[in-house]
Amino acid sequence: MNTNSWVKVARYHLVDRLTFTVVPWIVLTFDFLITIAVTDAIGPVKHPQAQSGAVFAIYVFFLVIGAISVFRSLPFALAIGVSRRAYYAGTALLALALAAVDGLALAMLQVIERATNGWGVTLHFFRIPYVLNGPWYLTWLTSFVLLALAFVYGMWFGLVYRRWNLIGLLAFTAAQIIVLAGGAALTTVTHAWSTVGHFFTTLSVVGLTGLLAALAAVLLAGGYTTIRHVTV
Amino acid sequence: MMPAISVAGLTRRYRGQLALDDVTFDVQGASITGLLGRNGAGKTTLLRILAGHEFASAGSVAVLGASPVRDETVLRRIVFVREDQTYPDVRVRHVLRAASWFYPNWSQELAEAMVADFALPPGRRIKKLSRGMRSAVGIVIGLAARAEVTLFDEPYAGLDAVARQLFYQRLVADLAEHPRTVLLSTHLIDEAAGLMDRVVVIDRGRVVLEAAAADLRGGPQSLQQIVVGAAGGAMHVARERISA
Repeated sequence: MNTNSWVKVARYHLVDRLTFTVVPWIVLTFDFLITIAVTDAIGPVKHPQAQSGAVFAIYVFFLVIGAISVFRSLPFALAIGVSRRAYYAGTALLALALAAVDGLALAMLQVIERATNGWGVTLHFFRIPYVLNGPWYLTWLTSFVLLALAFVYGMWFGLVYRRWNLIGLLAFTAAQIIVLAGGAALTTVTHAWSTVGHFFTTLSVVGLTGLLAALAAVLLAGGYTTIRHVTV
Repeated sequence: MMPAISVAGLTRRYRGQLALDDVTFDVQGASITGLLGRNGAGKTTLLRILAGHEFASAGSVAVLGASPVRDETVLRRIVFVREDQTYPDVRVRHVLRAASWFYPNWSQELAEAMVADFALPPGRRIKKLSRGMRSAVGIVIGLAARAEVTLFDEPYAGLDAVARQLFYQRLVADLAEHPRTVLLSTHLIDEAAGLMDRVVVIDRGRVVLEAAAADLRGGPQSLQQIVVGAAGGAMHVARERISA
């Protein structure tokens, strides 16, 4: 294990720092301004607690930059002597660092949103019922896990595309749909929907965050298995 | 003495097509070996396997005594300059700075001198460079890295004759001061012949000639003619097909 190499790989990604640090916030700011304008136009009387959900744009963007980070920078990294393992660990390290910083920023914005009565228009932009609606530290933790999960998932997509091109990407997506459909069919056949519903309705935010963290770990392991077979 | 590069029985198949067929040769340390052959002969595949970018179907390779697939520490001692190298979407100076982090022997002085030699604009994005300038970026990295093993795969695509001469001069001068192993794949055989200590000729995935360059240069034929002759089997078959 060479953590020094991991840090170098994370730095290597940040050579293109705009994509990783500024662009997600430009996207979210644009998203926020549109949402606040629409909410203001609709008026707080009709929708006393406007639920937006538009904050998820930053999570989607993390998925995209996860894919781009692998697709764009892997070939040159391997050319300058970076091993697949160091590249993957360094990129994951970057994902965790970005998720921690951006998750904290989201938590702070949520605090401001509460303090300003939803930016003066009772908007719930940074507050999502149940998922991101607790104290700041819990929002930070859940945002951190969600952002890291999105990035890691994107990385896996990027690796699959690099290894097997579009056909592989389609097969990879189809395989996930089949797994989900299979799970749904199994739940139906075993009449377990009420159990599943009960599980999720009684699950706390901390429990959900733990579940998402476990999923992120599975995705991370899946991506690692893939990168070991990637050729450039 | 342990060879810097050792290839034994190396075979690579792609869906039934044989790219490399039982390739075996060694490269001793501190030398320039020319890897020569026609398009599609298997040179790039061989170099990619040596750099750990591709996997062998059979056989083995060892660089500085270690497998580039199993022992990742050896990768830090290799630099691979590819004709078709893709770069992140950043500026020239960013790419050079990033490369410098991974090579302990990186020479910033040499990198800056070569950037000036090739008139590379440090602030320009890589994707805005001409093909020749992109090749020059690869050459700067390949030499400034001063890695123990340097693999050049047609490194000067798009470079003009003057820039190529600059590359040859820099290569020879820097290797004289900092000896290391260079494997150079090129089509410009006669132009680069004077640089080479040894020659490995590959044709249709097989090594058809391996010799000291000095032994080949002494005869009446140019190195290019010898290489064409060594790969003549394939050309002869093609000519017969055309005439038939």
